[in-house]
Amino acid sequence: MSVIDKIHQDRFDTPKTPFALDIEDLSNFEYDMQHCIKCKGCYWVDHTYMPGMENAVRCPSNLWKEFDSYGAFGKMRIGLHLLNGELEWSDHLLELIYADPLCGACDVGCKRNLDLETGLTLEALRVKAVQDGAGPMPGQKKVIANIRETGNIYGASASRHSWMTEEIRVAEKADTVYFPGCLSSYQKKELAQSTAMLLNRSGIDFMLLPEESCCGNVAFSVGDIAAAREIAMKNVEKMRNTGAKTLVVSCAECYRMWKVDYPKLLKIRTADLGFEVKHIIEAAHDAWQEGKLSLRNPVNLQITYHDSCGVSRLCDDWEPYEGERGWMGTIEPGLTRRRGRQGLYQITRELLENIPGLELKEMQRTRENALCCAGGRGTSFDFPELSAFSATERLREAESTGAEVLVTACPWCVSNFDSVKPEEDPFEIADIAQILLKAAGQEGGTV
Amino acid sequence: MSIQKDAYEIIRTIVGDSNITDDPADCIGYRSGPGGYENGTGYDRVMTKLPGAIVMPDTTEQIQQIMKVCARYGVPYVPYSTGFYGPRSHPHVDSALIIDLKRMRGFEIDAKHYYIVVEPGVIYSQIQQICMEHGAYVVVGGGGAQTSAVANLLNDGWSPLSYRIGLPQRRILGLEMVMPDGEILRMGSLSDGEDPFWGEGIGPDLRGILRGYTGLLGCLGICTKMAIKTLPFQPVTPEPQGISPDTSLKLPEKRVKWLNFTMPDLESIQKAHIELGNAEVGGAITKVPLFWRAIAKAEDKEDFWRIWLKETEESVKNFCIVRIMLIGYTSEEQFDYDYRVLSDIMEELGGIERRTKPSDESWFKNADSAGMWLMTGSYVSVDYIMDSYTQAFKQGVSYMELKDRYTPPLMPDFKDLGWFQGCEMGHLGYFEFLMYWDQREDTSGVDQFYVETSKMNIENGYYTSLLSAHQPMMLTGPKYGPNYHEWILKLKEEFDPEWMCHPPVPLAHDEFVRRSPWMKEVCTWDPPEDLPYPERWKDK
Repeated sequence: MSVIDKIHQDRFDTPKTPFALDIEDLSNFEYDMQHCIKCKGCYWVDHTYMPGMENAVRCPSNLWKEFDSYGAFGKMRIGLHLLNGELEWSDHLLELIYADPLCGACDVGCKRNLDLETGLTLEALRVKAVQDGAGPMPGQKKVIANIRETGNIYGASASRHSWMTEEIRVAEKADTVYFPGCLSSYQKKELAQSTAMLLNRSGIDFMLLPEESCCGNVAFSVGDIAAAREIAMKNVEKMRNTGAKTLVVSCAECYRMWKVDYPKLLKIRTADLGFEVKHIIEAAHDAWQEGKLSLRNPVNLQITYHDSCGVSRLCDDWEPYEGERGWMGTIEPGLTRRRGRQGLYQITRELLENIPGLELKEMQRTRENALCCAGGRGTSFDFPELSAFSATERLREAESTGAEVLVTACPWCVSNFDSVKPEEDPFEIADIAQILLKAAGQEGGTV
Repeated sequence: MSIQKDAYEIIRTIVGDSNITDDPADCIGYRSGPGGYENGTGYDRVMTKLPGAIVMPDTTEQIQQIMKVCARYGVPYVPYSTGFYGPRSHPHVDSALIIDLKRMRGFEIDAKHYYIVVEPGVIYSQIQQICMEHGAYVVVGGGGAQTSAVANLLNDGWSPLSYRIGLPQRRILGLEMVMPDGEILRMGSLSDGEDPFWGEGIGPDLRGILRGYTGLLGCLGICTKMAIKTLPFQPVTPEPQGISPDTSLKLPEKRVKWLNFTMPDLESIQKAHIELGNAEVGGAITKVPLFWRAIAKAEDKEDFWRIWLKETEESVKNFCIVRIMLIGYTSEEQFDYDYRVLSDIMEELGGIERRTKPSDESWFKNADSAGMWLMTGSYVSVDYIMDSYTQAFKQGVSYMELKDRYTPPLMPDFKDLGWFQGCEMGHLGYFEFLMYWDQREDTSGVDQFYVETSKMNIENGYYTSLLSAHQPMMLTGPKYGPNYHEWILKLKEEFDPEWMCHPPVPLAHDEFVRRSPWMKEVCTWDPPEDLPYPERWKDK
């Protein structure tokens, strides 16, 4: 008998309750919702990094609308009332739950001190909204229908591979699969092109996924678990069938889906996917370290880097968990908390800082403190005002660094920033693949 | 239940559509608890109500207008800054209006004269960064870097950094508040001009309305602006480092350093505090509870208990570490000189220096009080003691013994003494006694212990801070003063005769005892059958 059990038995009477990291049942997070202390670690930038009066907040939703109900701390309280049947769904309640890019800022903030599963709770609230027949939002429903009908979020009938050019070499069979995602396949084709050329340049032979379709990010993020699971199963099966060892993505949302949320949906560990998931940042970093990718071409630019959520706070490996919670809230067996430590913070900066001529000018909110552009996870389809607000706020911060270019690692971010940037503004938005390709000596984008 | 419709509509015209709400989901976002400071207690369950509406003004003029509307229409209200202060800063009656002050974000710094002027929406970490960039610092209260500096200083405001100016009320300078009738009251030098540089003003010192030893929990108006004393620091702004959760401030090694000394016994810790204060060395001196060290070491909650449960009463008793922050305020030479003075004193007292990291994880800019909830999920500081070193220690021992009787439900702490520190350059001892429990247990004992501490203080003649609105005034008032409760009620009657502002504070804890059957067995005093506050606020 452990010491904890001994003391528990002798002096305290807290009952043991089952607990699982399963977002399909909101009651799994009742303890978390009961123990939010409103310290607002989810809202403020980590106090150690607090820059002062400006750029002090990392929660886009609660920066957009300031009532506590828009912050994770408010939603934790609302969640308890929903769980207990004390609150009816309404249009306003749906806004509170869905006007949120689920960027993970709240989760890493909470796990600095309290280890509450804030991020999963917010996901579980959306699942409950769908289970109750209230969610998702109309625009998001349309996107899910599009995916079902055409395999892409736009409902487009055109080929997913129209981004390919003659100069890009794609293998019929290779150890690596490149998965560009919907946005780069249809809307931001130059990002897919840059990534593919960078892979070529790095000496990484790649193939494409047969009958490639959407990763299902929107379906999962808005709580439509059934649709998301179906997509996950098909995609993972297709990937396994290729026999490839590595899947490379260039979209931070796709990265999070494949690396974290597919395992979550399939109730397996990330390590059990049967293949490795890499963002192009990782693939390029590996190639650079192995001497296969040279970044010696000068890129005479002053840039600032925006840490997209999917490659920073949200990308720790997934591991299913089932156990019991008992005395003082301790759980058995032990659990390694996902705190965002696997974020691609350092390797990204290593790459950028080693490009001759390039000067990286950091924003005040960087790494785990970055302000999400709020374009992803279904937000922009139904709350474009929030997406525009947060992107504008982030652009203001980026431009205040004195940089000429905002570099990011996700087509959703690029697209959202592009949509709010005034045409006459010479400030540029670029994807990291475009910058790396330029440093590798090949023009591949607009920068 | 929303506030009166007429009042709501008028307030809406004052602040605009987007800054007022009575939507049920929004109101739930402002409910007290269920977690947080003092949440999970009987007081939380018995005394708090969902708000009827929330308004977010952004100017003093708007607050004046709102309070006048509340007075005219009989709408009770509660001032609210960051919402961290648990059930006592949430509505206690139905259909109350929360006046959320987070949009009051005014900030000015007078670097030359070492003060800042802030509104209630400004938090400590923001202030500290700007101050450090100007070669100054503020005392970030134990409540945490995320707290509103105005709210924190109105209530408490202690930290190891208050070693040089211990009493929080002495750091409050000129101040502006809106009284319950909507009129503005300016205190300190603001009462006689526009410059808030000084806390003293013409005529009687009205700062006592806001707080004496501790504050009155917003029951006498709303503070809209406060000038706060800053302290001279050194010129290098400490740089942040690390990725969450392992972040810290990198200290300039030749100007700022934390030092830990193992001392032979508790008596030598007291002597160290006094001697270092007499020598005017350091920027902070403190002895922290051993379990705080376990929190700092632990990877997670389970790891904390693995570490903590290896301790025994004996090991806790023998844990005699004093932490000192040395600051080279004027120069590296001064830093070196202070270090030599410190070393001499410690050598004489038998202290042995231990290795420390050249960083600050908590007190300067983070003060992560949120970590206090990691162990058990529920926490409150049950008393603040400010007295001579020897008396403060004596009181700490009494607490330890009383606490043991209430464990469980309180967490097993192996008779740890709590948080002790020196203040006012060695002239004051400060003891903060903390309690932790799991709110899912039967918490009757937590509520009883809280009140029993007052009875213990009275019985032993201890001087204590948590009187007024934090304990049953009908218990403590007749014993301290011996009539301070009458004066507080007279003040309330004078400034807020209808008790519009946060009713029924300051009689809320008395009301809690009256309503709670499990408190009967500890209610050994003789409270009036009918507590003296307006009938309209009494739960029928």
